[in-house]
Amino acid sequence: MTTADRHSESDSRPGQGDGERVVAISGARGMLGSALIRALEEDRRYTKVVAFDLQKPDFALQKTVFHKIDLTLPGVDAEMARVLRAEQVDTFVHLAFLSNFTHRTSWAHELESIGTLHVLNACTESRTRKVVLWSQSLCYGANPGNPAYLREGHELVGAAGPNDTYISDKIDAERQVRQFAEEHPDRRVTVLRMAPILDRDASNFISNMLSNRTIPVLLGHDPLLQFLHSDDADRALKMVVDEDHAGVFNIAADGVLPLRTITGLLGRVPLPLPLALARRVAGVLWMGQVIDVPPSFLDYLRYPCVMDTQKAQQKLRFFAERDIHEIVAEMAGRIEADRRVA
Amino acid sequence: MEGRASRQGGNGRTKVDRRVPVGMITGHNRSRAQRSEAKRENWPGEGDRRTTERRYGPTIDPEEERRRPPGLGRELKEMERIMQERFVPRNEGGGLGARLKKLLTGGTLWEEIRRIQLRHRSEVVDEFGFDPKMADQMGPLLRFLYESYFRVELRGHANLPSSGRALLVANHSGTLPMDAAMLMMGMQREHEAHRMVRPLVEDFVYHAPVLGTIIRRMGGVRANFENAERLLERGRVAAVFPEGIQGIGKPFSQRYQLQRFGRGGFVKLALRTRSPIIPVAIVGAEEAYPLLFKFRGLARSTGVPFLPVTPTFPLLGPLGLVPLPSKWLILVGGPIYIHESFGARDWNNRVLVNKVAEQVRSTIQSMVDDTLAKRRSAFLG
Repeated sequence: MTTADRHSESDSRPGQGDGERVVAISGARGMLGSALIRALEEDRRYTKVVAFDLQKPDFALQKTVFHKIDLTLPGVDAEMARVLRAEQVDTFVHLAFLSNFTHRTSWAHELESIGTLHVLNACTESRTRKVVLWSQSLCYGANPGNPAYLREGHELVGAAGPNDTYISDKIDAERQVRQFAEEHPDRRVTVLRMAPILDRDASNFISNMLSNRTIPVLLGHDPLLQFLHSDDADRALKMVVDEDHAGVFNIAADGVLPLRTITGLLGRVPLPLPLALARRVAGVLWMGQVIDVPPSFLDYLRYPCVMDTQKAQQKLRFFAERDIHEIVAEMAGRIEADRRVA
Repeated sequence: MEGRASRQGGNGRTKVDRRVPVGMITGHNRSRAQRSEAKRENWPGEGDRRTTERRYGPTIDPEEERRRPPGLGRELKEMERIMQERFVPRNEGGGLGARLKKLLTGGTLWEEIRRIQLRHRSEVVDEFGFDPKMADQMGPLLRFLYESYFRVELRGHANLPSSGRALLVANHSGTLPMDAAMLMMGMQREHEAHRMVRPLVEDFVYHAPVLGTIIRRMGGVRANFENAERLLERGRVAAVFPEGIQGIGKPFSQRYQLQRFGRGGFVKLALRTRSPIIPVAIVGAEEAYPLLFKFRGLARSTGVPFLPVTPTFPLLGPLGLVPLPSKWLILVGGPIYIHESFGARDWNNRVLVNKVAEQVRSTIQSMVDDTLAKRRSAFLG
């Protein structure tokens, strides 16, 4: 992100006066999108919010206009560009990414990789002056060569898996956005790489994994994990929409914990598997669509993939309010509540 | 030879009488040393430490570190106590009926699973995964090895400053990296500030199943430039063994002959972070695991660089992993402030880096040689 980094030195005040800003959000029905719309609805600086998704967000909207858009359809970029021009959108927040692994890999590719292409085309054709992209720490990949804390400049390696395009699509989206930033030095491009979100309501691969009574772990391996509370995720997103901060930023809660300590704190039973067996079993189960997590994910149970958040602290002045212990305690509370209900 | 150190009152700095000739590295006078001591106080990495560790983890304030000797372990324990208060379910009271109901609905089972899993783990680890509970539990074994088995003698430990960053550079030997553990143990026990040394661990050990996890939880950090930089910037003590695998894997016939010092990464590190290099000679570890041969072929499939053959391993099976009871001597030399002679920009001057690395290597080699000359027996000292 060299070009984007160069621009990050510049001003960090909102580009326009109060009550003039219009924000468009793709993937508006998702958890991050809904939270952002709620926050923008209450903020007087924003006159209008344009929400793109397949379904309308399930709460009352006042200044939000909903447009039904399917990012996988050809020609959707022109349609979006028309809306962006008509509504005079100045900021596009691209959140239309899956937070769960899926077996529908070709559809996921169309949505994430091609969807980003459509979004960027629409932004090019309109007068959008800021683009915000949601990305995940998974993109760095869990590799034996990773430093204990990955900085933003580290290469995005992802996971090596033949049928697993979940992460490579996200990396491709980031690559496109980087290219967009280089081609359009006049536009602010922000990428937020977030740690896995975990809290009371989160629904993604990590919260699903930890919701199981037994959690598979790799025998003899115990990686350090990092999370993010959705309150902090929402706050970070709102922050980069409000202010101009070009560049890539790692967003994560403070602190790390080993996986086995987390299973202990949550009262879950770890199921230690030898690596060779786990890989084979996971391969078969993934092929048979019994499990929803591909075998390449096993690397994340083996090697560290933890981000350094110094840049966000220094440049965004963003400090996560919930640390990992509060997040795990909240998850423990959620499990306890589920147990009581059962 | 021991690098006698004399405390200088007031500012709490140590001045070192260096008897080891380090040639050009140490070619500076004292006033220059003091000037850059003053400069070191407001080095950028120091100032922003507060902001980066604002929310989580022990804030390592040099002042506070001086006041509270047990250091990191104690702070983590305090955090753990707070965590336990937050996590351990409060006793809700109630009579027999309530307790029976709780048991039947599986309420206690959940707590039991937690209790069993957290028996050997603390609920708080530091940023590199150091687990104070684990270190406590391994304590007796290490203490036995240190005191009774290897009868380690640590000399010149006052050369390690009581606070602030420092980079220990040591020779590596013995097939299992026991020398790092003994160095850690020694500094924790005998140094006046009980400083915790974080050894930088080779990849194939760090990522080895079981062993790697134990090493990480006992305080090991993966040997990586960024990790080491992070440690030093936070005012900690890192220990490097620049010989790496070559040092562990040299045959017994080449004992105490220091191998190539990697590519001088530790010199770059010291220049970049402006840390003093403290040479350390470890004598006795070679005899603990005398390496006769190494098998390469068999080892390739398992990921380890070689399979060692010692007089007892693999002849006696796992029993052969027990080291021989050699008498150890750990010698800590006087600090070398290379960043005073050279600027931080010099870190990518490869000729210079190589030269300095070679100087440090020969310093340690001469420390080892001197000790060997005085030693009468490998097992009796």
